[in-house]
Amino acid sequence: MSPVWTLLLIAVPLIGALMVAFGTEDRAYGSSLRTMLVTLIPGAMMLWQFDFSMGAVHQGAASVNWIPDLGIKLSIGTDAISLLLIILTVLLGPIVIAASKTAIKDDRRKYYAWLLILQAAMVGVFAARDLMLFYICFEFTLLPMFILIRCYGSTNRVAASTKFFLYTFTGSMMTLAGLIYVVYFVAQQTGTWTLDIATLTAIAPRMPIEHQAWVLLAMLAGFAVKVPLFPFHTWLPLAHTEAPTAGSVILAGVLLKLGTYGILRFAIPITPAAFMEYAPVLGVLSVIGIIYAGLICWVQDDIKKLVAYSSVSHLGFCVLGLAALNVSGLSGSVLYMLSHGLSTGGLFLMIGFMYERYHTRDMRQIGGLASKMPVWTFFMVFFTMASVGLPGLNGFPSEVLCLIASFQSDAAWTAAGEPGAWGTTLGPWFGVFAGTGMVIAAMYLLIMVGKICFGPLREPKDHHAHEELPTDLSRREIWTLIPLAVACLVFGLKPVYLLDAISDPINQIVSTATAHSVQPLPENHETHTMMDMIQTQIQTQTEATP
Amino acid sequence: MINTTLLTNQISTILAMAPDTTASVLSQTPTEIGTGPKWILLIIGLPMLTSLLCGLYAIIGNKTKLPAWTTVAGAGIAFLATVAMYLSFDGTPYTVHAFDWIQVYFGDKAMIANFSFYIDTLTIYWMLFVTGLATLIALYASEYMSHDVGTSYCRFFGAFGLFVFSMACLVMGDNLLMLYLGWEGVGLCSYLLIGYFYKKPEAVAAAKKAFIVNRIGDLGLALGIYLTFVHFGTLEYAVLFNDPTLLGYIEAAKTGNFEAIPAIAQWIPILFMIGAFGKSAQFPLYVWLPDAMEGPTPVSALIHAATMVTAGVYLIARTYPLFLTSEFALPIVAWVGTITALLAATIAMAQFDIKRIMAYSTVSQLGYMFAGLGVLTPTGGVYHVLTHAFFKALLFLCCGAVMHGFAGQLDLRKLSGLKNVKGWGIVTIGMLIGCINLAGVPFTAGYFSKDTIIAEAFVTPGTSMIGWILLFTAGLTAYYTFRVFFRVFMGPVEYHPGDEHHDDDGHDDGHDGGGVGGFHPHAPGWAVNSVLITLSVLSIAASGLYFVGGNKEAHTKHYAQTMVMSSTASYDSPYSKHAIHAAQESNDPNAGVGPRGTIDKALEVPIIGGDPHKMMYYISAVVGIVGIALAWFLHLFGRTNAAECKMDPIAKRFGPIPKMAENKWYVDEFYAMIFVTPLRIISHIFHWIDKLLVDGIVNLFGYLPRIFAWIIRPSQSGILQGYAVSMAGGLTILLLVVFVIVMQGGVS
Repeated sequence: MSPVWTLLLIAVPLIGALMVAFGTEDRAYGSSLRTMLVTLIPGAMMLWQFDFSMGAVHQGAASVNWIPDLGIKLSIGTDAISLLLIILTVLLGPIVIAASKTAIKDDRRKYYAWLLILQAAMVGVFAARDLMLFYICFEFTLLPMFILIRCYGSTNRVAASTKFFLYTFTGSMMTLAGLIYVVYFVAQQTGTWTLDIATLTAIAPRMPIEHQAWVLLAMLAGFAVKVPLFPFHTWLPLAHTEAPTAGSVILAGVLLKLGTYGILRFAIPITPAAFMEYAPVLGVLSVIGIIYAGLICWVQDDIKKLVAYSSVSHLGFCVLGLAALNVSGLSGSVLYMLSHGLSTGGLFLMIGFMYERYHTRDMRQIGGLASKMPVWTFFMVFFTMASVGLPGLNGFPSEVLCLIASFQSDAAWTAAGEPGAWGTTLGPWFGVFAGTGMVIAAMYLLIMVGKICFGPLREPKDHHAHEELPTDLSRREIWTLIPLAVACLVFGLKPVYLLDAISDPINQIVSTATAHSVQPLPENHETHTMMDMIQTQIQTQTEATP
Repeated sequence: MINTTLLTNQISTILAMAPDTTASVLSQTPTEIGTGPKWILLIIGLPMLTSLLCGLYAIIGNKTKLPAWTTVAGAGIAFLATVAMYLSFDGTPYTVHAFDWIQVYFGDKAMIANFSFYIDTLTIYWMLFVTGLATLIALYASEYMSHDVGTSYCRFFGAFGLFVFSMACLVMGDNLLMLYLGWEGVGLCSYLLIGYFYKKPEAVAAAKKAFIVNRIGDLGLALGIYLTFVHFGTLEYAVLFNDPTLLGYIEAAKTGNFEAIPAIAQWIPILFMIGAFGKSAQFPLYVWLPDAMEGPTPVSALIHAATMVTAGVYLIARTYPLFLTSEFALPIVAWVGTITALLAATIAMAQFDIKRIMAYSTVSQLGYMFAGLGVLTPTGGVYHVLTHAFFKALLFLCCGAVMHGFAGQLDLRKLSGLKNVKGWGIVTIGMLIGCINLAGVPFTAGYFSKDTIIAEAFVTPGTSMIGWILLFTAGLTAYYTFRVFFRVFMGPVEYHPGDEHHDDDGHDDGHDGGGVGGFHPHAPGWAVNSVLITLSVLSIAASGLYFVGGNKEAHTKHYAQTMVMSSTASYDSPYSKHAIHAAQESNDPNAGVGPRGTIDKALEVPIIGGDPHKMMYYISAVVGIVGIALAWFLHLFGRTNAAECKMDPIAKRFGPIPKMAENKWYVDEFYAMIFVTPLRIISHIFHWIDKLLVDGIVNLFGYLPRIFAWIIRPSQSGILQGYAVSMAGGLTILLLVVFVIVMQGGVS
């Protein structure tokens, strides 16, 4: 696979952003939509050229020295997992632009330009093979989202954006501290500075478990807030509720996945022994999150807040799968990252379309839309069912795998207990309690659909028809939903494509992590002191300079 | 590719354990072993196709009955394909692969659940009546739903097709996840169809309740499936039921040695059972089914009487080997079934809505089926499924015809003597045939299938109490069944049209005149009548199955038994009649040992001094007839109008009891009080905790630096650039720190 496609995926939106920023207000929508549609081409080419038989290898790798003294490079490359997440991002791009056409009326250039920049940053996170590049992109996603919420959100947007920014930023500063320690440790062990993720993950497990535990805690401080894991979730309902539709879709679809992706890419490989030790804690927190957030959904009147809390509940399954630390769990978790983006993204779009017409999200004021908006209702029920985890749609395979994983993850319960391959971190009780999330999800989502779609028609008193939009969905709106709906069906009926694709990298992560945690690598005690390293570095520099 | 190899491996494993059949099957080429012809996929594919076509019709705005004919044709061809599958079946189960679905590989192990279908006699038996009834009921619905022609008509038949598809997946799937797919799929269709009249709040609430209560059961099923995979390492029937571990457990169970079976394996059937209780509306999860009658009547007939609700029976029959490995599972199934049968019958006695009476009788009859499974006669349970499917569908369709003709009237106090109204002859005869089956009048199909269950309850040690309760319930059943018949169809002619139109808002043209005088009921047309006639014939013919289809070699007595005994549901009960005879003749001291203890080899367990299998014919005939006679005396004899009968003064003597039964023993209210309300309170508490405590702590941390900043700095800019700068600044500072460390190291 050629690295050109990945670079194009980052460059095209940035160029598009410039064009939008220096263009006119009226053309902002059109040119940003065109830009996003153009990015589908490199996306498709990546998918086309990627060799899935070597899914664990980072393909399309390219690297340029950036700060050579510290071993910082600009290096990119994608394995199967990051490829699929990039594809999800690229797929959502045009959808969120198209969904914003009538919703955003003022200051459009800024809006679309920041959306495009956000797109580039998200692709950058998944493609980065260098820790510094990863972290910069990881943090940089905050800024466009902050602006989208701050400037284009609804009534309580200032508080929401501030909390979103400060909370996640504070968390990720701790992550940075942890990662810097890892870099320092690896430098000590090898004698050279490097921020190459592959090297870091190969050497870092040599850390003694006490150090690993601290590093893990630091990393989770950022990632858990991002996911968000109970009890670090309170920014999310606020941010989701206030964000414009496009912001909510991106937030649910991609930005939350940065947290789980971070755990998968960094927390597990870098600190396997500590992760195995503390996985039950993560498991408990995710199970609490599943039930707690699910029950909170049940008593919401604000439909957008309901879906936002449902994200907290759903992401609990995702983290549970990771905490199981076995193949089915990690597979399920990666599948969850992809599928949650589709179904919850779809739900946010539906809510956005409704909000544009009625200017309320309060389920007490609005109801029985089926008789007025049958097409809207069809898609609403469809995405709700996808979210509930109906077999045949996307939510089901991932949910099943995460739950099976937590059962498997206890050697005592298997007939032929093989702790290595199956993981030993969780146990059936995690699965049983998390499973109640299935029932709770059915409760709150069906009650939501029952209130909003069915029953006698209820509309806000001062409601009058939207001047630009038809009563039911317009053709443009339907076209934003169809790709998501088709993807939901394909994921649900042929998850085997995805599972095959991610099988190699997942097996590799699990086997390395379990091997390292069962038998930790010996620490290299002849550490290179800081002074040695610097001296060698100065030497090489003076030798290099004539 | 991987899949084929794996399947071959599995088949060879199976063959290794079945030495008798090895020779015959091995003669085929290895790739062909165990796979069936692809045209069998028509049975699954056609209903899906019709569903999609109905969606297409809705999009192009079709305003004809085309969706109905498409669905009838699709289901009909699926039925013919099922018949062809039946006729071409040679006794060896096989699988048909559609496409790969979920596959996860862990090293040398794998979790595989494909879109594949497993065909054995149980599958065929179930699919025959599912597709057959679907065809008939689609035909009925073409007329019944005719005043909704348009988008709603498409919606109805779209969901109908999807239901048949899901049911086919449930019954035919070759692994537990496919079963689960069908299980949830029928749940979805049930949800969509109960809520068909979505403007009615009751219908919406009923649909929601059905889905959520079912989900509780589904959780049990799902957990059971996970445990099965974790313990036995497979989800596919072909591998699971030949798993040496499982076979070992069953051997242990047959001698009552349950200590040899790990607790985890014993939990699996208990979890499955919870799923079955949800889907098949057993106590304590039965509450959704009566409410589900808000859906259109064809839906009640097909989904909530004949097919979907029997999915629980199918599940237990299909996984019967797993149930045998648990010490408690089958006794619980038996007792829950019995309690449900009795409880629902008592409620049915006091209801006035005839469709609800039928709903409770469905719950009650499903209880019989579960009791049958529980007392070690899967044959009885499965046979009752078939007979019940026919006569209950017939009863519902008759009720539907009444409801349709009388503007939604279902109250038996407001309808009387329909027998003598012009055009209602076929409905009356159909109703009568349904009622005699349900009441267990001698020589009807319902009589034979019910007797099989009750007799076996007396034979199996320790369950004679179940037998007595079921017998008593049979009497109640006869009473409430004929209460409906004698009130609605016999006696003086009197009818009041319904003021509430259950079916359609546009239906009230010309009917709203109200009153007996101005109202003209419209009698059913040819589609409804032809379906009623067909179902009547089938209901009667089902009794013939009790006398044909036996297989001497397999020691089976009749058709249903033959079908069950050559499937995974086969369980050669040590208490079955022929086993008792075999034990009597055998010299083996353990010949009469079974999971519930040892039977007396010398004597069969007698009931009132006779062989229970024979005595039951007489006893239950008497019980049934007494029930009918009571209904005749109390509800027909001397009745002069629709509303009053001899029962009214008698009911008063029972004090509050009839009222309590009419209010369903307040079970719904009890659940609301015990589960729903506390959970809602907890949810509200969580919501406040989230707002105040969890978020409060976050805000507190947010304030600390602000206070700090307030002291040391005049103010924060609060504008966008400030944050961007601080972010970049933070990064720079951190990088600087690293640089400083480096430089300091370099200097010293």
